[in-house]
Amino acid sequence: MMMKINLLKRLAILAAVAIPGTALAANNVSLSSDVFVERTVEKPDGKTAVMLEEPKTVIPGDNLVFVVKYKNVGSTPATDFSVTNPLPKAVAFNGTSDGTEIVSVDGGKKWGSLATLTYTRENGEVRPALMSDVTHIKWKFNRALSVGSEGKLVFRGTVK
Amino acid sequence: MNYASEATLIGFKRSKSRPAIRGAMALAMSISALAIGSTTAHAAGTIAGTDILNTAQASYDGPSGPVVIDSNTVTIKVDELLDVTVASSDPGDIAADSGATQQVTTYQVTNTGNGNEAFTLTADTAKGGDDFDTSNAVIYIDTDDNGVFDAGVDTLYSPGSNDPVLAPDASVNIFILSDVPAAATDGQRAEVELLAVAVTGSGTPGTSFAGQGDGGGDAVVGSTGADGEASSFFLIQAAQVALVKSATVIDQFGGSQAVPGATITYQLVATITGSGSLTNLNITDDIPADTTYTAETITLEGTGLTDSDADADAGSFDGSEIAVSLGTVPGGQTRTITFQVTID
Repeated sequence: MMMKINLLKRLAILAAVAIPGTALAANNVSLSSDVFVERTVEKPDGKTAVMLEEPKTVIPGDNLVFVVKYKNVGSTPATDFSVTNPLPKAVAFNGTSDGTEIVSVDGGKKWGSLATLTYTRENGEVRPALMSDVTHIKWKFNRALSVGSEGKLVFRGTVK
Repeated sequence: MNYASEATLIGFKRSKSRPAIRGAMALAMSISALAIGSTTAHAAGTIAGTDILNTAQASYDGPSGPVVIDSNTVTIKVDELLDVTVASSDPGDIAADSGATQQVTTYQVTNTGNGNEAFTLTADTAKGGDDFDTSNAVIYIDTDDNGVFDAGVDTLYSPGSNDPVLAPDASVNIFILSDVPAAATDGQRAEVELLAVAVTGSGTPGTSFAGQGDGGGDAVVGSTGADGEASSFFLIQAAQVALVKSATVIDQFGGSQAVPGATITYQLVATITGSGSLTNLNITDDIPADTTYTAETITLEGTGLTDSDADADAGSFDGSEIAVSLGTVPGGQTRTITFQVTID
């Protein structure tokens, strides 16, 4: 009997994801990802300015700006949530805009502010974690995302 | 090699939705573990053609339970960066003799870009600011990668037909063989330069060659301008020896008459000049007619040498001539040898 109930529950969850109509009703948070690259542009007066462009291609050393936008477009608050962004391996972390993130330097096992973490080298040596060690970035929200509220999370990285 | 980035927005609500959340976390973990597995550290940077994928993922508690949504995926391709460095492998000036042919200078060409790239090589012996130019320059590729030119083993380079193709961070040793003119004189220097240029293109850093990058992206000239050069130098190091012989006579009566029975002390001064060294320098002198060598009288720099040729010291007498082996003597030094005879 218990087995059947569990099975039914699972089916209901699957249906919620698979059936477009149901999913639409449940989709009360929208999420988008944008990646920009900093390009130095020379202006007609000879001065240079740094512009953000949406690149098709980049080269090692390019500075990238990752923007994750979220908005509660539904009719109920989304409670107690967090955003996690595993860093692409070709990108070295270069900080966030607000510094409220926690990070991981071991693939998402241990979390904390960078200053509290240590990095274990291949030879077993332990040293304070560096920005370049970061593998994951996470923002923990300690309040509910109310209906209609939105925001964006920004972090910077450099193409390795 | 794809590097995936996915942001996960996870709603935590303790109780009924827990198993589903666990599932979502496990998914995120397994994807990131995969990405870690594909890591390759590279000094030249991310390999050309790599796609950087960024997809944000959200999971939260909606009205009817946990929901997972994906954002759009942003795909950015890593272009090829065209960079090269050339370094001379010769630690300093290479000593050479005037008129010497096929003298070797050695260089190392390194692909500091992030894609496989071929390089065109050029030897320039006509540099200004030096004292003479070498001629008949040919380039060889160090086929057996031992850093030393091996005739018959290393490959003659022909531009456009066997341009060396280097992987990112890879290096190749290159030799230039050229001839030193007979007219070059002691102390003169000659510069021999090797130039390497990326075949895809070179020029001002930032110059882009659309679609020509390794891996399908663009090729972009890097900070080196996609060309590099380095020079080695030949230095003519010649040396000459001049011998001056003098004689002092002391007769048995306390005078200096060359009478039978008088002793003649011969002094040989070898003066070596030039910026080079003379190797295996031997001084010999015949015992003059009507004189008899006085045994065990050879000296070098005031120190006695034995007559035997079988021992370790530098002197010997074979019955008709004295010989002193001086070995290698650098320019600017002198060696003084004396020996005695009596007049018959």
